[in-house]
Amino acid sequence: MTETLTPDTYERFMTEPPAEGVILRAQGLDFFYNGYQALHGVDLPIAKNAVTALIGPSGCGKSTLLRVLNRIYALYPGQKAEGQVTLDGEDILDARKDPAALRSRVGMVFQKPTPFPMSIYDNVAFGIRLYESLPKKQLDERVENALRKAALWDEVKGKLKASGQSLSGGQQQRLCVARGIAVEPEILLLDEPASALDPISTAKLEDTIIELKRDYTIVIVTHNLQQAARVADYTGFMFLGRMIEFGPTDEVFMKPKAKRTEDYVGGRFG
Amino acid sequence: MSFRTLRRKAANAVFVGFCSIATVIAVTALALILWTLFSRGLHGMNLNVFTKETPSGLSNAILGSLMMCALAMAIALVIGILAGTWLSEFGGETRYGHAIRFLNDVLLSAPSILIGLFVYELLVARTIGHYSGIAGAVALALIAIPVVIRTTEDILALQPQALREAGSALGTPAWMVVRNIVWRAAGGGLLTGGLLAFARISGETAPLLFTSLGNQFFRTDLTQPMASVPKVMNDYALTASDELQQLAWNGALIVTLAVLAVNVIGRIIIAAKAEQS
Repeated sequence: MTETLTPDTYERFMTEPPAEGVILRAQGLDFFYNGYQALHGVDLPIAKNAVTALIGPSGCGKSTLLRVLNRIYALYPGQKAEGQVTLDGEDILDARKDPAALRSRVGMVFQKPTPFPMSIYDNVAFGIRLYESLPKKQLDERVENALRKAALWDEVKGKLKASGQSLSGGQQQRLCVARGIAVEPEILLLDEPASALDPISTAKLEDTIIELKRDYTIVIVTHNLQQAARVADYTGFMFLGRMIEFGPTDEVFMKPKAKRTEDYVGGRFG
Repeated sequence: MSFRTLRRKAANAVFVGFCSIATVIAVTALALILWTLFSRGLHGMNLNVFTKETPSGLSNAILGSLMMCALAMAIALVIGILAGTWLSEFGGETRYGHAIRFLNDVLLSAPSILIGLFVYELLVARTIGHYSGIAGAVALALIAIPVVIRTTEDILALQPQALREAGSALGTPAWMVVRNIVWRAAGGGLLTGGLLAFARISGETAPLLFTSLGNQFFRTDLTQPMASVPKVMNDYALTASDELQQLAWNGALIVTLAVLAVNVIGRIIIAAKAEQS
């Protein structure tokens, strides 16, 4: 892609969710990989207890945007974010703030399943143990609860001591979801969580996401347009590091306002 | 068949032939060494070798080697794994990190007699004032540390970055990500590094010449001069006495079998771990 977008060549269409329901908000966000600018003045409002999907062609910056929201990018010295991201009104990009505290509120599940090299039980209990020292019985309950919410309990309840790495890919990914929600974050970021899964596992994961919406706020990056249409309440379409269009999923898919969005959701490019 | 095809086939046959001959030479040499070692080493092997002190047996040397190697490995594993972790996880890409890595590679190939002299100056001549098992263990540790650092860094670098990110994404502090996730994932590899280092030091004589010296008696006191199998082998192999030369062969076989046993046990542990996950 050699095309360059400047403020003059593109128009942004933002249909905001009701202001009182917005829990997390990015404003004028720029992002740099060792000097290369990957995000240009991105705005993103995330509504509480809703699923927000980020779509767009490869390299458009949707994963980058997601990685800013829990500051996981800060693990790499060459990466830098500028602008404002507020969680309940507090700026999370403030370098003086403890990223661990932020990450306990904003969990993340990655593209490839990443079970830790320990038992299924310990995978889920790992995060809980970081923050609380619970008696065994309560810990058991929390682990069971998280596995139930991630729709994995029935498949693993008889083998909690088995290694997390012994599960199938789809089960591993739901284990990662369980591990993420076990610490009871407010927001869960999902970075193409189904891209390594088969259709049946994907369907299960999507059901799980829709279920989780009741208790959590979810932001999902996906390459799969149908998936965005199925699970998301709000959708943002990104292109070349810009947020081109944001709004309720139905509107973005059925009545897109930007020509580029229309082309993309209509399957004409990307 | 054209001339060109024939020529290619001939060139191929010559090349494969040379490779095969080289392999045969290498394997034959190894087989001859092992054959000599076993035939000479097994001869005269009896309980006395393990129960009597030198020069009737090797009990004091075996105990000394075990104690010094164990202490050396304890030192080397702690320092080596921590330093290797620092290189892989924290400071490896800094200028200082590059300097440390380069120096470690130099140490990896440093002549072991130099290490022995260094420890002689540092501990035997200046600090402790006499030869001791501790000085021997420190010299062996200095040889093992670069091996452990190198293997630790290499093994940790192989662990997927996604695993570290997943750990951090839960709000886990960096040191806990390393200790509870990355080290655990790399467990088998770290163990292999330890085994390599043990194999490297278990037959070393040079660093012990001026550090642990040797001891004719069965002693467990590491602060005193201490016998070791390689040192005894070195001394006895040079004597004119057939009995002592025989003991040297027995010692050589014992060291070889010990390294073999440790490696086999290590492989079994690694395989069992792989089975679990």
